[in-house]
Amino acid sequence: MATTIEAVAVASGRWPSRRSARRLADDAIRASVARAGVAASDIDLLLNAGLYRDRILGEPALAALIQADVGANPEDPHEGGHGTFSFDVANGACGPLTALQIADGFLRTGTIQHALVVASDADPGRGLAKRFPFAASGAAAVCRWDEGAGGLVGFRWETAPEDADLLRARVGFERGRNLLRIEEDPAFGERAAAWVGKAAAALLADHGLRPGDIDLVVPSPLAARFLQALPAHLGVAGDRLVAVPGAGRVHTAALLVALAAAQEQGRLGEARRVLLVSAGAGIVAGAALLVR
Amino acid sequence: MPSTWLMMEHSPNGGRAPHVARLESVGRRLPATRLTTGELMASTRHRTRIDLERLTGIRERRVSDGRENSLTLAVDAAADCLGRSRHRPEDLEVVVACSITKYRDGLVQWIEPPMSIAVARSIGATNAVPFDVANACAGMLTGVFLVANRIRRGEIRCGMVVSGEYISQLGVNAAAHVRTILSRELASLTLGDAGAAVILERAPEGSRGIEVAGFTTVSQHSELCLAYPAKHDLGARMFTNARAIHRAAIADMPFLLQETLDAAGLEIGDVDHVIPHQTSVRAIRKGLGKVCETLGDTPRNGVVVTVDRYGNTASTTHFVALAEELRAGHLHAGDRVALIALASGLEIGFVLFTVDEELVRTYGHDD
Repeated sequence: MATTIEAVAVASGRWPSRRSARRLADDAIRASVARAGVAASDIDLLLNAGLYRDRILGEPALAALIQADVGANPEDPHEGGHGTFSFDVANGACGPLTALQIADGFLRTGTIQHALVVASDADPGRGLAKRFPFAASGAAAVCRWDEGAGGLVGFRWETAPEDADLLRARVGFERGRNLLRIEEDPAFGERAAAWVGKAAAALLADHGLRPGDIDLVVPSPLAARFLQALPAHLGVAGDRLVAVPGAGRVHTAALLVALAAAQEQGRLGEARRVLLVSAGAGIVAGAALLVR
Repeated sequence: MPSTWLMMEHSPNGGRAPHVARLESVGRRLPATRLTTGELMASTRHRTRIDLERLTGIRERRVSDGRENSLTLAVDAAADCLGRSRHRPEDLEVVVACSITKYRDGLVQWIEPPMSIAVARSIGATNAVPFDVANACAGMLTGVFLVANRIRRGEIRCGMVVSGEYISQLGVNAAAHVRTILSRELASLTLGDAGAAVILERAPEGSRGIEVAGFTTVSQHSELCLAYPAKHDLGARMFTNARAIHRAAIADMPFLLQETLDAAGLEIGDVDHVIPHQTSVRAIRKGLGKVCETLGDTPRNGVVVTVDRYGNTASTTHFVALAEELRAGHLHAGDRVALIALASGLEIGFVLFTVDEELVRTYGHDD
């Protein structure tokens, strides 16, 4: 018995009209619920883990706007129906993994039947960012509880506040206007991989596993420096990592983008033990074990 | 399909959630500087002729003098909370930061890393897994819902939910733009700064603790209150249709509150104290009055109001008010308290819990 990831879908911002984090999230959700064979109204919990949205909206949670867009029980409460609860999770590029853990918690207690995790980023517009570094991209995953044996069986986290300055994003007032500045130190990828290695080692120890027992690693971020350093820190061969060509600049959606790629490449179906690993500003590093 | 509109958890729930979560300690931080409504309205750029104090019942609010910000308010509230707690910082297994504003170093809004990492580091919560949630003014109660879920399942024993809101700058910006009573920035003039923190832990067997928690997002109303960084003003601006939010809340609240009470097997008359989100004295009294009229009874001790002294302190209001009631000795062991979230989204949520002796003692009172 465990939480399963039923379907994952990706939306990319190739067309200028689609370069809105909100629209990317909407598109990814519509595709993921269709793939999972459920309706948007079946979503009991909607978690948005994207960070860079139109105007850098602070209130309400972007999740509420997305919920209304996709028609997940947006109406006033009434007899004989059920609602959707939605909110945002903010944990850098680890947001989707945190959201999966939150969803897993409420699926485990039987409080909900379907959860949806979405993440998207795009240039916030209105001149807020001079050179927005991340790709306009979104992805969504539908989760449900499965009475069978497979699914998410554990999570582990490491935090390294001493490395907090390696990746920072701030909105501050400069020369008469608010500007978004995103600063990444070249050392971030290597340090993040090291902390992911620690989180993964602890997770494997929890389950009595060794690195050699892992069939597939689904990583986030998808940046080259991180991916190059990761196999050594995990103790797995490089070919066990899911490769997603051209996705190096995808930010919060990266884990779900990699998961979708693994599914498309047919590697997810073949793997018995899958490690989901993620790292973000903080440094926060997380690992989850998906067993089939 | 779930049998309730609210996404709801009630304790205990057999094998899947065998434990009960309780509120172990509550802390807060209020800046020392007071800003009266008269002073704020005297600072408006345009002659508005708005009697905001009569309209909202807010006499004053606390505001940062610029040295305090979202992070320092959160850290100071967390320290106050830990100072009243039996727990050491290293006992905390999660730290969830839930503020709307994430200002540090004045008015610099941090998008990442999350604020929870800085809070956990500042208080010495070396074993805690930190993350942030953002859910407008329902943020802290959303955090309580998440941490209680982990405690109920036995995944953790102890965690902190914390927030710091340096949000009064929105009022400063509104003062430059508001012209009439119909201004969509009027609600920004009700805001005040505060930090709040709560430690949740596994309750001893047989304790009532948090009996029910339930939340929903009525997202057809999601665009009634929007806030984002200002283009040419310091900090952010917020645009609110307060009347429409009030109307939607009065329409939706009775049905959802009844669901919560039904889950606990209670009537509204069984609740001793109601602590709603603090928007304005008039909106709280009128709104709760209509809700109680629909439910046919009233809570025993009525509704807790702190907005007259502190303004609307965003995600921290419930725990600022709870700390106030504990400090004043108004809460006694066995009292049932309903915390009611009403936030941009439209987020509506309820946390129903019973006060115990240990919580009363954290404020030096014996029951």
